[in-house]
Amino acid sequence: MLESEVHDLSDDADYAASQQQGSASMMLRSDSTKNSPREGAEIVFMKENVAIHPTQFASERISGRLKLIKQSSSLFMTWIPYKGHSSEARLSDDERNLYTIKAVSFTEIRSIRRHTPALAWPYIIVVLSSGLAYPPLYFYSGGVKEFLATIKQHVLLVRSEEDANVFLVNDFQNTLQRTLSSLELPRAVPIACGPSNLSVDESVLNENQGRADNDVNNGSFSATQFPGRPSHKVDPARDLSIHVLEKFSLVTKFARETTSQLFGENHSNGFSERRTHIRNNLDHPRKSSHAEEKTSDESCVALDSQEFENLSLVWGKPRQPPLGSSEWIIFLDSEGRVTDSEALRKRVFYGGLDHDLRNEVWGLLLGYYPYESTYAEREFQKSVKKSEYENIKNQWQSISSAQAKRFTKFRERKGLIEKDVVRTDRSIPFYEGDDNPNVNILRDILLTYSFYNFDLGYCQGMSDLLSPILFVMDDESEAFWCFVALMERLGPNFNRDQNGMHSQLFALSKLVELLDSPLHNYFKQRDCLNYFFCFRWILIQFKREFEYEKTMRLWEVLWTHYPSEHLHLYLCVAILNRYRGKIIREEMDFDTLLKFINELSGHIDLDASLRDAEALCICAGENGAACIPPGTPPSLPLDDGSFYALQDENLWAALKRTSRHSPYPSQNTLLGFTPDPEPVSPVAFLASSLQSAVGASRSAVGDAPAFSLFQARGRLA
Amino acid sequence: MPSRRRTLLKVIILGDSGVGKTSLMNQYVNKKFSNQYKATIGADFLTKEVQFEDRLFTLQIWDTAGQERFQSLGVAFYRGADCCVLVYDVNSMKSFDNLNNWREEFLIQASPSDPENFPFVVIGNKIDIDGGNSRVVSEKKARAWCASKGNIPYFETSAKEGINVEEAFQCIAKNALKSGEEEELYLPDTIDVGNSSQPRATGCEC
Repeated sequence: MLESEVHDLSDDADYAASQQQGSASMMLRSDSTKNSPREGAEIVFMKENVAIHPTQFASERISGRLKLIKQSSSLFMTWIPYKGHSSEARLSDDERNLYTIKAVSFTEIRSIRRHTPALAWPYIIVVLSSGLAYPPLYFYSGGVKEFLATIKQHVLLVRSEEDANVFLVNDFQNTLQRTLSSLELPRAVPIACGPSNLSVDESVLNENQGRADNDVNNGSFSATQFPGRPSHKVDPARDLSIHVLEKFSLVTKFARETTSQLFGENHSNGFSERRTHIRNNLDHPRKSSHAEEKTSDESCVALDSQEFENLSLVWGKPRQPPLGSSEWIIFLDSEGRVTDSEALRKRVFYGGLDHDLRNEVWGLLLGYYPYESTYAEREFQKSVKKSEYENIKNQWQSISSAQAKRFTKFRERKGLIEKDVVRTDRSIPFYEGDDNPNVNILRDILLTYSFYNFDLGYCQGMSDLLSPILFVMDDESEAFWCFVALMERLGPNFNRDQNGMHSQLFALSKLVELLDSPLHNYFKQRDCLNYFFCFRWILIQFKREFEYEKTMRLWEVLWTHYPSEHLHLYLCVAILNRYRGKIIREEMDFDTLLKFINELSGHIDLDASLRDAEALCICAGENGAACIPPGTPPSLPLDDGSFYALQDENLWAALKRTSRHSPYPSQNTLLGFTPDPEPVSPVAFLASSLQSAVGASRSAVGDAPAFSLFQARGRLA
Repeated sequence: MPSRRRTLLKVIILGDSGVGKTSLMNQYVNKKFSNQYKATIGADFLTKEVQFEDRLFTLQIWDTAGQERFQSLGVAFYRGADCCVLVYDVNSMKSFDNLNNWREEFLIQASPSDPENFPFVVIGNKIDIDGGNSRVVSEKKARAWCASKGNIPYFETSAKEGINVEEAFQCIAKNALKSGEEEELYLPDTIDVGNSSQPRATGCEC
């Protein structure tokens, strides 16, 4: 299907109809006409080219049409993405649909924050009364002012006293009342279980459910989410659940959690049961739906609060089976170039790679081989690089014992490496046993690297990073160069001043503050904001936390940099969030927390955590990006030396003075979406962004709880 | 007020990479030795209950990464330590030479209230290797250094064979306890403020 259809943008109904024809996986769409307010509705505002950026990449945007619709006395907002816009060919329909805003009533909207950065497109963030927010809506054709003015004509809209850019909707009740009333949705909780109290879409939900069930029974659809991917049957029940989740996660996830808190976890079994079912569907996509039913029946009996807690976010995108060789070749042209590297990265992000493919694809993901290189060019590079490697290796191999005697640094380095390689992954067959030649290769590569990058030298943790690479590449020179490519990004983790680690730990603390303020407050209260308990996670990319295969899976996913270069930080947040209840309930202090985190090793559900991480990353949007200082690994270091100096002296000083407001600019706002392609000078960038970042962080931690997914849950707990 | 008596004793193990810090800790706590310990990243600790004069204590033993580059983390981990164990490998002169650096680094980062009298214990590990033939640091040399630093207790151990490990940690625990009690004398009453019961002399047994 993809983008081949004729686009009819004239009308939402046509849009819905074309969707209906397009793919059975769009089934929920079939009712979308009903979602639009029905008879008597009047469009009071319409704006084209209002876009969402699902990732940090400015190039990836979903454009659509924003409307305000008045029906009787109520005002609704809709944002419907265009179908098959040319610049968005990479985005799947599912992705587009995920963000669709269908007739959200202004009774559900708490506030609208307006952002009008000087160097970028204006955007708004709509915060629901539940505390959740839609992703920022970018007005590429302007019109924020008219949008707000129109709203003002129909509903009570007042500027926040604290922030002139925040507009409160219907703010006549007191906040607590509003919060509580927005939570009285016990039956809305299990979307797929029964009627909902959600104000607009009640009937639609039920119809969707009914229809979806029919489709399940017919077993009649397949997923064709990725370009060029051979269409294959998937478990319909799985897609149904995913679809339901994706569609309604924004509004319902919050409601589910808070209602269960409100009504006591024991009373929420009906809902938990359903969620377990959903989760099972996601986790075991190949089971038949009968098996699914059985599993869910069994598990609902055993559900307890602990388990409930484990079922935190469920709305990240489903993981996929790994990319296999038959699908891989579709990404290549006849000469071996990757034709659409972004599609490849996306595919690998969602599913990882078959082990047999890693050898071929890791070099590309790591940037050792360019995506646009041909088979022949890669072979050529391989041989050139091999002799280059031998040359560097020869530098230390030719050191005589007499010379070594007078070369303390070399001896020490060698000694340190030798001590570490013999205790690196020796339980893996590849490195097992006495006199294992691979252990020697590990040593040789690390020693060669310490000559290649003499300033950085060797540091503990590097052997952990190299081990899977050598295992996968199974070639000394190739492993070396892939390791070099990885260290281009992770090298600062091992800097003597530890600045790479400190900036990541700092960013992590900011992200937790943004995304999970109860946990942040807890850590603050316990004096745990240095996040040293996550040190190992970050230093070696979770290498010690997962079994070998899972580590490789995680790494290839992280290396895609698909939703963010810093997904690993969101992964930290996701895992911490999963255990937040336990951490707080057991009143863990720094010591016990560190112990707890260390002992999580081997017990983290990778796929579920990745889904959460992705959801958090998307949800945090540019506020998340603003938490991460420029140049934070694995971002490539900033070129401009002066900026580095600035960062070292001023920013870190600023950081010490105040931890409340991030002094770091939002790259997205200022660079990513700048209409002017000229790069902004680092100093100007910094100066102008300091202001906007302070604003952004206020929206995160101050008045408007945008993105604070877990805030209310913590408040109620 | 026996509940006010401290029962947790915090011990930090420091020393160069690969001298056997993790192994010593595991031999003492779990009576196990493995050739497959991985290099410690960050820090970790194990706890063990110890008994002294009819009182139970929890010994919390911290194992840290040995590479100097990670020393800046120490400030978070060393805080509140009651005793610091300095480990070297008797087969490595450098690991011995570095003891002084580790000691000083610890005193800077942990900043104990009485650095002059803060209890250290030195352990020379790996005496089993090669039947002692590859040994490069003599016991005499090590003891001389310990004496020069205020008579630091010294032990020679084999974490692999379990030689002298128990004895070393007995001493460590005793020193930690002593350090803890001295510290306690500084602020016994501030802890009890707000307690409704009558203030009593410390050391009262109930």
